[in-house]
Amino acid sequence: MSITNLLENWSDFRQQHPSEDRPHREYKWAMSIDLDACTGCNACSVACYAENNLPVVGKEKFAHGHSHHWIRIERYWDNDGREFADQGAQFLPMLCQQCESAPCETVCPVGATNHTADGLNSQVYNRCVGSRYCNANCPYKARYFNWYDYPTTDNVWPEPMNQQLNPDVTVRGKGVMEKCTFCVQRLTVAKSNARSEGRSVLDGEVQTACQQVCPTGAISFGNLVDPSAKVGKQWKQQQVDLNKDKQAKDVTESAAKLRGYRILEELRTYPSVMYLEQLRESAI
Amino acid sequence: MYCFLRLSVLLVGLIVSAGSYAVNAVQPLTTADDLGPKVEQPIEFPHDRHAGDAAKGGMQINCMYCHTYARRSIVAGIPPLQKCIGCHQSIESVRETPRIKKLFEYWEAKKAVPWKKVHDLPDFVRFNHERHIQRFVFAQNKPVQEACGYCHGDVKTMTVARRQKPLSMGWCVSCHQKDHPVDATSTKTTHGPNDCWQCHK
Repeated sequence: MSITNLLENWSDFRQQHPSEDRPHREYKWAMSIDLDACTGCNACSVACYAENNLPVVGKEKFAHGHSHHWIRIERYWDNDGREFADQGAQFLPMLCQQCESAPCETVCPVGATNHTADGLNSQVYNRCVGSRYCNANCPYKARYFNWYDYPTTDNVWPEPMNQQLNPDVTVRGKGVMEKCTFCVQRLTVAKSNARSEGRSVLDGEVQTACQQVCPTGAISFGNLVDPSAKVGKQWKQQQVDLNKDKQAKDVTESAAKLRGYRILEELRTYPSVMYLEQLRESAI
Repeated sequence: MYCFLRLSVLLVGLIVSAGSYAVNAVQPLTTADDLGPKVEQPIEFPHDRHAGDAAKGGMQINCMYCHTYARRSIVAGIPPLQKCIGCHQSIESVRETPRIKKLFEYWEAKKAVPWKKVHDLPDFVRFNHERHIQRFVFAQNKPVQEACGYCHGDVKTMTVARRQKPLSMGWCVSCHQKDHPVDATSTKTTHGPNDCWQCHK
């Protein structure tokens, strides 16, 4: 597959976001995050570092915006006059939303990020030339750039810590963009196992690293095509539709009690992550 | 001094560009020149003797007898020493040949044979043997040696295995773009997956 072939036949290679007449076939990976259950403990973030070979960059580089946390906990402080320590906060885990109509994909000059048949937004490090357009165009700022060659910079994985690197995930080099993959290495294994047994991946058979460690079970992940999947039931219960840019919650008054929403939906990115609004009081 | 440096840089540049031009000019994917590097193995294992045709003095042993994980795992697996000894302890006729002597030396020292990797894919590639073997050998009923040979070449005629195919991305895709029958009897065809994350990790 030469690059000429790729560019000339782009429509054949590019998976577009599904519609009524072109639905997802076997898998559509999706997530839902219950903000009422999220305590902001950061376990998801830590698990992601371990699973996906993320470098811990340190205070200084972090301050320069060189961080690598594919899932980060955003804090939203209450603005009710109380000072810090007594001030309430709300937490929101932010990761790549695996948009069906991803803004990052259309701006990549080399086609390094595109859609898979499973509805994932793939990032191929080998093709990436580091233009960082995708990051500029991502409304969620969920893409992270390798400013340094971390295996050789700052002794990020000193012996014997390099032994704990996940062999199923590439250790990225300098000059490429990276982001949450929905733990695609786990998905591939689960899909292969299921295929050998002549079935689809069962609900709960595959977990993302962040979901696996979440102590309150705030994150659920699964196949949206599978009617028995928990994540699909949650989406349905909240009347959140993948193909719409405005959900029932925002349109009809009777549905105002629904909690499900997707972030920046009005940009028509059709994200694959649904959040459940927080009802309880802010944490102190 | 600088003049010499500049000249040598120019020369190197010329050689490199000529070399890359030559590489670009060679298009056929499997030619005699396109072989992988020769890999020195601790024991010169004769694949032709074990898996070769009976007419040429081979034993026609199924590839998966030794590379037993190919049908059920990502990797095909190098057989443990027990597998070699399992047969060779009762084959008296070749017991005193130099290669078998070496084999039993490893066995008596309780050490694994340090076989070297021949078909080494880059770390960023995910290749699953199971999927390919299940599709071509078990679903399509292709002969094992033919199915393995798509990527590994004609190993049954080699002694020490050597890479015959380029194992490059374009070469993988050239097959993934073709339509293959779903199974031995069906006329339905599908082609291999062509999204990047299927193979890139």
